[in-house]
Amino acid sequence: MAIKAAQFKAARRFGEIIRGARRTGTANVESESESRPKLRIIVVGNPNVGKSVLFGRLTGRYVIVSNYPGTTVEITRGRALIGRTEFEVIDTPGMYSLKPISEEERVARTVLLETPAEVVLHVVDAKNLERMLALTLQLLEAGLNVVLAVNMMDEAEKIGLEIDFEDLAAKLGIPVIPTAALTGRGIGELKNALHETACR
Amino acid sequence: MAPFSYDPALEQAIDRVERYLTDSYPLSRRSVALLLLQRDSEISDRVRAAEGNRYPAVEQSVEMGRSVLGLRTDDIIAVRLRSQAAEIARSVTTHPSGTRVSISDALSRLTMSPITGLPILALALWFGLYQFVGFFGGGTLVKLLEGGLFGQHLNPWMTGLITRLIPWPWLSDLFVGDYGIWTLGVTYAVALIFPVVGTFFLAFSVLEDTGYFPRLAMLIDRLFKGIGLNGKAVIPIVLGFGCDTMATIVTRILETRRERIIATFLLSLAIPCSAQIGVMTALLTGHPAAFGLWVGIMAAIFLVIGYLTARLLPGESARFAMEIPPLRWPSFGNIVTKTFARMQWYFMEVLPLFILASVFIWMGRLTGLFGLTVRGLTPVARALGLPDATAETFLFGFFRRDYGAAGLYRMRETGTLSGNQLLVAVVTLTIFLPCVAQFLMVKKERGLKMAIGMAAFIFPFAIVIGGLLNLCLVALKLRL
Repeated sequence: MAIKAAQFKAARRFGEIIRGARRTGTANVESESESRPKLRIIVVGNPNVGKSVLFGRLTGRYVIVSNYPGTTVEITRGRALIGRTEFEVIDTPGMYSLKPISEEERVARTVLLETPAEVVLHVVDAKNLERMLALTLQLLEAGLNVVLAVNMMDEAEKIGLEIDFEDLAAKLGIPVIPTAALTGRGIGELKNALHETACR
Repeated sequence: MAPFSYDPALEQAIDRVERYLTDSYPLSRRSVALLLLQRDSEISDRVRAAEGNRYPAVEQSVEMGRSVLGLRTDDIIAVRLRSQAAEIARSVTTHPSGTRVSISDALSRLTMSPITGLPILALALWFGLYQFVGFFGGGTLVKLLEGGLFGQHLNPWMTGLITRLIPWPWLSDLFVGDYGIWTLGVTYAVALIFPVVGTFFLAFSVLEDTGYFPRLAMLIDRLFKGIGLNGKAVIPIVLGFGCDTMATIVTRILETRRERIIATFLLSLAIPCSAQIGVMTALLTGHPAAFGLWVGIMAAIFLVIGYLTARLLPGESARFAMEIPPLRWPSFGNIVTKTFARMQWYFMEVLPLFILASVFIWMGRLTGLFGLTVRGLTPVARALGLPDATAETFLFGFFRRDYGAAGLYRMRETGTLSGNQLLVAVVTLTIFLPCVAQFLMVKKERGLKMAIGMAAFIFPFAIVIGGLLNLCLVALKLRL
């Protein structure tokens, strides 16, 4: 049943995009939900690192996910119940850097500029930490509350990659959680870290 | 607060700019200062608005910083960021010792190299598309649904019911006439398009889940460089094989206006979307040579037009790097969810349009406009060497390419179309604009003038190509 509802929503969302019901970061969020203030999580990261799958894992909402970059060009919003706290989760298009070059990156940054959030969840591909941590550093420079999800751990392990997460967390000074969004691994730990960071 | 520091000259410049920032910003002042120093126009607009008459002082401090650092400001920042990131990453990761080539690595390389990649693509097209979608979806399933369920049971029953309920033929025609909402709209959608598109989406989802598409993109990328479209434009084009409307939105990821225009144009002209590929393939099933020619002709049009447009619109093409996910076994759950989500989406998209088209045609027939338009299109059909009745399908094709193609389907079944005629009609319809929704999206993304301009080129072009193709087939005495 749940699957059916999710599919229907996905279909509707696809339709909405096509009809051009654009929902960008500029929209006033409070007005569309009930007045109770909510904590907010913004999901950012390079294209094709699994942001949308992770978003789905957090919110239980299915978004057409594809292992092809550029599938998300708009903002998707959803709700997540973590512990007893309700969060609003915002999925953004891919961004490589805090200084945008393309339109999709601009959309993602506009969200960061215009939507105050308790936590910014930066999703990176475990296999490409070298290239992806630059954005983490920029997010930290910007003074945002960052939680780092090192995603695609299943694939990283398959090629024999080992990562010292404690060391990484110490060096960056933020929570670092290994995840595999596709299989659901690490989602519980990630939720705890998000909750803790948001309520700090 | 700062996770690391830049070289002293840059740190000084950051400090100076920071000191002039008085307002509070969503990003730290350090970050704002850095973006200002990189001449980020969106950020400077925001700072100008926030600081008001204090802005000139900010601007001056930025100018000063940049003049000290020279033109290399952006590079200095980017290089330092990258090296810092790499240093951290290296200190926490242990790379696998000794790289052994796994089967999936080897297979992955084979899919991307042109020599082996193109045959693999041909195999995927042949088995996944032609055999599975064409024969099984378009043949077996359609026969069961359209011929059996609808043709023998549902439609006669519905026609009987409606004509009894509505004794006036002019009104009952709206529901169960030759072009009725039920007999045309719903029947096309459920009995024809549904099995074809369903099998197509299934094949599409399997390929997608294995990670084949990014590899296909790498392969196509090589072709693209030749026509002056670079790298990233592959993304919307390959997505266009899923849905042109969606892909038109995705052209946003392209960096220059030039590339966005070229990509949008190619999508509107030469890329059939999933449903269209499915229906067109099903139409050509049983004529393998025609199928091969169709693929070849569309690829040729794509390359030639892409090359010419790129020549007409001069400019730089952007650099691009794409992540290639590993090849993996598709997961059953993923495939089922994706296939259903896509089918549902497609259904919501086309059913209302098919119904609307039936209503339009009904009104057109009452007023005589329908007959007039069809008669107007008849010479076009004749010029393409097609039977007069195909004029109607061209009219349908203005709504959606696949709607037009669905019209041809019925003619094919009654055996009124030869292989040559099928190919000419399918090629012409494929060049038509994809669908009304995509046209509206072009209007939204590129503006009304551009949308109309493209349409004004595309429709006549489609007919000219169809005509030329017919002449060639006749001249070469080919029978497909």
